[in-house]
Amino acid sequence: MFCDEALDAIEAIAAGELRPDGRIGDHLTSCPDCAAALEDARALERMLLARPTPRTPPQFTARTMARIRRARWRSEQFLDVGFNLAIGLVVVAIVGGVWMLLHRSGLTSVSNDAVDLFTSEAVALARRAAPSLPLYAGALALLASALGVWWWAERGTAQ
Amino acid sequence: MEPVNERELVERCRRGDEGAFQELVERYKDLVFALIARTVQDRSRAEDLSQDVFLRVHRGLPYFRGEARLSTWIYRIVANVCLQDHARPKGGRHTVSLDEEAGPGQATISATDRRFGDLELRDRLEKAIARLPAHYRLVIAAHYLQGVQYEDLAEALQLPLGTVKTQLFRAKQQLRRLLETELK
Repeated sequence: MFCDEALDAIEAIAAGELRPDGRIGDHLTSCPDCAAALEDARALERMLLARPTPRTPPQFTARTMARIRRARWRSEQFLDVGFNLAIGLVVVAIVGGVWMLLHRSGLTSVSNDAVDLFTSEAVALARRAAPSLPLYAGALALLASALGVWWWAERGTAQ
Repeated sequence: MEPVNERELVERCRRGDEGAFQELVERYKDLVFALIARTVQDRSRAEDLSQDVFLRVHRGLPYFRGEARLSTWIYRIVANVCLQDHARPKGGRHTVSLDEEAGPGQATISATDRRFGDLELRDRLEKAIARLPAHYRLVIAAHYLQGVQYEDLAEALQLPLGTVKTQLFRAKQQLRRLLETELK
């Protein structure tokens, strides 16, 4: 039995997973270097067993849950933006397609007349609505404030 | 943990029950944190990485098929997170050692430590462990934590049982040599 062979088994013996009998046992009793190595391995085993278990920081669960909520909120935001972008692209594609169709079929000149008519009607409507403009502006500001408060509250909940 | 309860918990988590996920974190946080803290040897980093583990568990639960035990799957995530962290550059990272922030319970020196005379020896041990390759640190950390069996570790690391045992013996051999020579 060579020292190398015994030294390979030392960790298993120190951990109690291998019995030091037979040739290994004989070698360990006759070789002071290997016996010392076994003692060191046993001491190391005891130190590793006595190693203190790190304690989880207080509030770990709360902090982890908050981080998960933030991550989920972010991914939902990302999804929302992606969805809105996709809708926008679809709308642009449809409008572009319709315009190309009109252009190719020669209906653009007809649609130009329709646009002129629509513009003149819109101008007339704007003139009629002009005196009530401050009222509309106030209502719009109220609506914007309500939306802002809702957005802020949603953001707070998500975080 | 009873397997049935574990399945129920997973199902509740999958249905988006936040309370169930909080329960899952409560069940596994001590083991996950201890395992990571022992592997990376830095409390603040360990907390970040433990949170990463639960974040990955949360994202992965819809795809968890339940073929392995939940604990095994979590160990696998812990192993990946620790090994990926080891591969990252460490520049400018502030580290807080495990001893610096140990709570009052941790300050109690065990009888074994006293017999070896030695906060100093424990410090040498921690320094020696820090010099081991990441996968050796991980097997040492897991093996000497209560509750982690060889079988769980082998399944988590996707290695045969014999390989895990061999890695553990080699890790201890290397540790013993480091303590004998370079850190004397």
